[in-house]
Amino acid sequence: MLNCKDVAARASALIDGELSGWQAMQMRLHLAMCRGCSAFVGQIRQTRDLTEAALREGTAHAGDDARLAAILARLPDQRRGG
Amino acid sequence: MRDGIGDETRLRTLLAAGDRAAFERLYRQHNGAMIRVCTAIVGNRAAAEEVVQDGWIAILQNIGGFEGRASLAGWMFAIVLNKAKSRARRDGRSVSFDAGGEENSLAAAFDGRGRWKDMPELWDEVTPERILAGRRVLDHVTAAIEALPPAQRAVIVLRGQQGLDAAEVCAALGISEGNMRVLLHRARLAVRAALDDLL
Repeated sequence: MLNCKDVAARASALIDGELSGWQAMQMRLHLAMCRGCSAFVGQIRQTRDLTEAALREGTAHAGDDARLAAILARLPDQRRGG
Repeated sequence: MRDGIGDETRLRTLLAAGDRAAFERLYRQHNGAMIRVCTAIVGNRAAAEEVVQDGWIAILQNIGGFEGRASLAGWMFAIVLNKAKSRARRDGRSVSFDAGGEENSLAAAFDGRGRWKDMPELWDEVTPERILAGRRVLDHVTAAIEALPPAQRAVIVLRGQQGLDAAEVCAALGISEGNMRVLLHRARLAVRAALDDLL
């Protein structure tokens, strides 16, 4: 039987779908009986989703036009002219 | 979701032909993540911006050699991260991706039998735009990511980047999948702890 510490250590692997069928089933058995672990796995899932949202937002604001222009200026002209 | 192989071949053709719009789209999609990861590796943002700019130029110069064995994003991040690692070596800096040791934000959370000392509780209403302690939740998350140790930061940023799968992240960083998972989990634990402290 997994204890709470084991479940917490495997929470990311569970939500990322990286556990084998047997491992995932052991996790689900524990989660069905343990309110604390169930809440914890939910928090890790929210953390993953918020992290991805924060990174996407950062990327959307990362358009550095001066640097983009500098890179484009170094594109060989013959490629654009054909 | 990863682009289809047909889309990537088309994109490669456009880039090789110097298509400005195709390049801009790619740049805006990946430049931010490249700078974050390279900042973790080279240690400061100014150096990271230089490395990433050189990386983009190398990407454009070598796009004809992209063969589609990895995804386009996987290939591009490998180029940029190689440059970052060279720069770090030149500056005498090294980032350890060793996942040894068990220290994490849950170190003291369990009793001797591995049970929670204090049971976690459900987070209600933790939405991206909610204000906690005067800042949006997403801003707290961004700050928590920026405070992570470099190896954890590099992994969490790359794993959150669209178009990169786990194997490509490991290849670009030169680490095993096991290490990557440990670092990713520790990074999430730290971000989770930062949010939990606010609630």
